[in-house]
Amino acid sequence: MVEIALGTALAAIGAGVAIGFAGLGSGLGQGMAAAGSVGAVAEDNDMFARGIIFSALPETQAIYGFLVAILLLVFSGLLGGGQGLPTEAGIVAIGVGASIGFAGLGSGMGQGMAAASSVGAIVEDNDMFARGIIFSALPETQAIYGFLIAILLMVFGGILG
Amino acid sequence: MADGIATLISSVGLTQETFLVFCILAVLVVGAVVVIITSRPILDIYPYLNPSARVRARKGRLFDEKQISELVETNDVEEVENYLKGVPEYADVLDAYPLDKALDVERANTYDFVARVAPKDIKDPFVVMSKKSDIDNIKSLLTAKEVGLGPEETRELLIPSGSLYDELDSLADTETVTDIVTSLDGTEYAAALEDALPQYEETNMVLPLESALDKYYLGKLLRSSDVPSDENKQILYSYVGTQVDVANLKLIIRAKQDGLDYDAIAPYILEEGYQLRDWKLKDLMESPDVTNIVSGLEGTKYADALTDVMPVYNETGSVAVFEKALDGYTSDYSKSLASKKPLGIGPIIGYLSQKENEIKNLKIIARAKREADFPNSKIMEMLI
Repeated sequence: MVEIALGTALAAIGAGVAIGFAGLGSGLGQGMAAAGSVGAVAEDNDMFARGIIFSALPETQAIYGFLVAILLLVFSGLLGGGQGLPTEAGIVAIGVGASIGFAGLGSGMGQGMAAASSVGAIVEDNDMFARGIIFSALPETQAIYGFLIAILLMVFGGILG
Repeated sequence: MADGIATLISSVGLTQETFLVFCILAVLVVGAVVVIITSRPILDIYPYLNPSARVRARKGRLFDEKQISELVETNDVEEVENYLKGVPEYADVLDAYPLDKALDVERANTYDFVARVAPKDIKDPFVVMSKKSDIDNIKSLLTAKEVGLGPEETRELLIPSGSLYDELDSLADTETVTDIVTSLDGTEYAAALEDALPQYEETNMVLPLESALDKYYLGKLLRSSDVPSDENKQILYSYVGTQVDVANLKLIIRAKQDGLDYDAIAPYILEEGYQLRDWKLKDLMESPDVTNIVSGLEGTKYADALTDVMPVYNETGSVAVFEKALDGYTSDYSKSLASKKPLGIGPIIGYLSQKENEIKNLKIIARAKREADFPNSKIMEMLI
């Protein structure tokens, strides 16, 4: 069995939390937006492109989670090349994962609801596109906060340093 | 610090491995709690997303005020028909049927569509509503046979839709009202019609049969939406219940205008109303006249709409003003319900109500355009 330091193992949990929860939120959000978009396209073929745009919006949370997870895996030495993380940095890594994971979960779900609703509004009234995008982009901010804090934790928590 | 953490772990009697397992378990528990809490609203919303988008797409294609004005400005019914042929929603049905029938078919198609796309939890009432074309067809058949129309003339009155679609031809071929009732044996309408048949045979009028059908339909509609366990179902129950109350009220008002007493009206009323419960309905049926019915409704949500048109009734003596006021109230109430749950049943109710109004308005316009020199301002007044 491969010997892994406790800190590295904790960072692995952090990486799992990061992509797991962010991916869950992103998936739920994308599912909602796509369900609304399919309904819209079923009635109006011209909605396909706009439906894709709104369905793709909640993808970003999974991307943030994926990036953070990759950074954790690389800098914790789990992918090779390093000495492994000390225990305290491993605990910080769980915080990193929770930061982007939970922020991504809430943000993805919120964005999915807003996007699904926007698709409904646009298919009813074409002029709603720009306003729909603005409203759907609002819940992105929570994921950005989570992502920023995750980066700050990695920088000042001794993971990227 | 690492030493401190290691000391802390060992002081609580954990090895590094058990600490790791503890961390994983903690993450799993927190994750499970978060997922359970956050998934509940999603599960409520999810079934409505696709149907909402579909009905909103159709809602967006309903006529706006400008288009209705253009229709009102047309010179005759042929122009109305040509205008509608340029609208995709009506083009197909107008290619197949004359205007009035095409509008009935479009309405039946709308209810079929909503019954098809509605989420499972709220599907039943919409399925019942989609059978309204059955009720209309049976009524047309009864009336046709009562006045002695032949099979071809009868067929022209029927809406090619509903669960009786396959039997419409053979039903049109029957000769008497009793034959219609007998032919419908085995359908869900048989019991209601057979119960009212002796009354028809006694009076030789189809009114008891028609009223029995209405009562059966409204009863089924109300029962299909009971047990309002969540907000979507509560809204649906209000929507359906208001329709039942309004149907009861229209019947009572018209009956009182004709001077009928409680015993004559009671058999045709659906006792288990929504806001107007059995005791209230009994009070209303026992009222001596229409004015007392309106005052008896004080405290109910229907009072304002009817009180507002009381002066017009006093002036004209026509109960049509109350029927229009009740239709207007139903429309406004449906609109208010539609805005309550935008990621739920709201858009479905909004679309149904607005489409129903659109078809009613088109029928009003078509009827008015058939009459020479009917003033456009009068048509605008008549629109819902």
